[in-house]
Amino acid sequence: MMFELIGGWLQRPNYIAFVLLFLWGIYIMVTRYNLVKKLIGMYLMQTSVIFFLVTTSAKRDATVPILLSTTEIIQPEVYANPLPHVLTLTAIVVGVATLGVSLALADAIYKKYGSLDEEEILKRME
Amino acid sequence: MTRHLPVILFLLPLGLAICLPLIGVRRREWCRPLAIGVLAAMVPVSFASLAGVLQNGTIHYDFGGWAAPVGIEWVADGLASIMTVALSLVGLVCITFLSSVLFPYLGSRIVPFYTLVLLLIASLIGMVFAGDLFNLFVFLEVSALCAYALVGLAGGKALVAGFRYLILGTFGASLYLLGVGYLYAETGTLNMADLAQRVPPLVGSKAIAVGVLFMFIGLGIKMALVPLHGWLPDAYTYAPDRVSPMLASLVTKVALYGWIRIMFWVLGAHAVVYRIPVLFLVGVLGALAALVGAFLALSQTEIKRMFAYGGLSHIGLILVGISLGNQTGFVGGVFYLLNDAVMQAGLFFWAGAIIHLYGVRTIEDLGRLQGGAGWMSVALVVIALSMIGIPPTGGFFGKWYIILGAVEAQNYLAIVAVLIATLLTLAYFAKLFERLFRDRSAQQPLPIREIPLAVRIGLGATSVGVIVLGVMSDHIVSFLLKNALPPGL
Repeated sequence: MMFELIGGWLQRPNYIAFVLLFLWGIYIMVTRYNLVKKLIGMYLMQTSVIFFLVTTSAKRDATVPILLSTTEIIQPEVYANPLPHVLTLTAIVVGVATLGVSLALADAIYKKYGSLDEEEILKRME
Repeated sequence: MTRHLPVILFLLPLGLAICLPLIGVRRREWCRPLAIGVLAAMVPVSFASLAGVLQNGTIHYDFGGWAAPVGIEWVADGLASIMTVALSLVGLVCITFLSSVLFPYLGSRIVPFYTLVLLLIASLIGMVFAGDLFNLFVFLEVSALCAYALVGLAGGKALVAGFRYLILGTFGASLYLLGVGYLYAETGTLNMADLAQRVPPLVGSKAIAVGVLFMFIGLGIKMALVPLHGWLPDAYTYAPDRVSPMLASLVTKVALYGWIRIMFWVLGAHAVVYRIPVLFLVGVLGALAALVGAFLALSQTEIKRMFAYGGLSHIGLILVGISLGNQTGFVGGVFYLLNDAVMQAGLFFWAGAIIHLYGVRTIEDLGRLQGGAGWMSVALVVIALSMIGIPPTGGFFGKWYIILGAVEAQNYLAIVAVLIATLLTLAYFAKLFERLFRDRSAQQPLPIREIPLAVRIGLGATSVGVIVLGVMSDHIVSFLLKNALPPGL
């Protein structure tokens, strides 16, 4: 039973990679006091979600969804699903924008309090 | 023409937000009148769109001419239309208030400031109209990015509060996106109407259950549902006093609206996931939020922080209303949501004006006003009556319909929760009024200062607004009953 379950998981290494990346990102976000390290964790987590979206459309021996001629019969099963990729593009843009804002905030905090360490900043805020 | 009104409503603030950096290079002083003008123009457009929806039924707007399940769709139904009307009205009052001379001069930062505010309004409109889950995510993130930046604008402690808001908000957004991915993997569609067909038969599947759970946790962080509210009090307390009304009254409310959309229009009103009725769970969470938020508000010493916690408890009350599973409760919850947008704006107007006119930040210091502050106190009393729920105001009718719905559902625990939350609200306002009107011990009474015009407009509009909402409650509720009910309720 147990071996079957683990065997089943090993059939899908991409999902295991997603779970590991996601949890790793959260772990960094929660345990690190340095603001930039927190951001690295946050970005890792965001990227893992993007990775998950892409991996749902992964297919062996699939091709790009482009019709080469108009007479060809459309066979959906030979194409990789393009929609998650499109979503991913937008999600990457959103992620980059978030990272930009967060780095600007971290920079402003550093200029104001002279430190990136959360405990140090809280101490200086008093 | 009517068909295009929702998009025009969105393009008005977005267009100005894009043009403003270009205009602002040369004509910095144009930013304020242009922003107020665009928000004022949105009000008639939103009313026209509402009238169009009433006349011709729900507007489905297909972008680029691609029909719904394949293309991107905006849906303007009764609920969305009345939300956008509330959004434009409250947004107009908020932007008038935040451009007051009361607040420190922004200098060259005035251009990015108004750009962010307009972008925030545009993205909230987009969230209300979005017809598919992924667009909801994009607009959620755009609005959140504007909110992070606006919170951080105050500098100092606000930077740290904004940073924390950003970390938690992004965590919530990632969870939401993950949930959308689960739902897409299971059903193969992102369109809400399409999902509403495909999700109910699959509701027992693990992927749907986990996906919905992720989405609700994500949105719960964005709307500061109680166990997930950690970012809110600091963010609202330290945010610039001119923007906290806008953040408090609009951002969390629209996230809550997104939650309502997903719960009723995608999952269906009576979805049962793993033998747990979703509505029951939401009701428990709402009651918890209503009580915990009000308790925490009672123990605060800072005015803005007290109002922030009060907002948390009202989010809970709205959730209690919509979770009752009958029409009365749902309508009561939605009506209370509209009220809450107005009340939160009014409370934070008052707090911001008091801070900048008299330098009073804590409840302790209120005694130094010697009951003064002119008719600003009258406005506060009116809004507080609505927060507590005293008859001629909108807050009373919201709670009244929620309780009627609870009686109808025979959910007596919900009634108890609403009543205790009401008593606690009364208690924390009593604490505030006791200081404001009865404390005569202060050594140096503060001189009464003239109230700037924008503050008069803001406080006047919100305090009259809650009474108008109360007087009109009959019409609004019957409108909601006729046009804004989710399918199958």
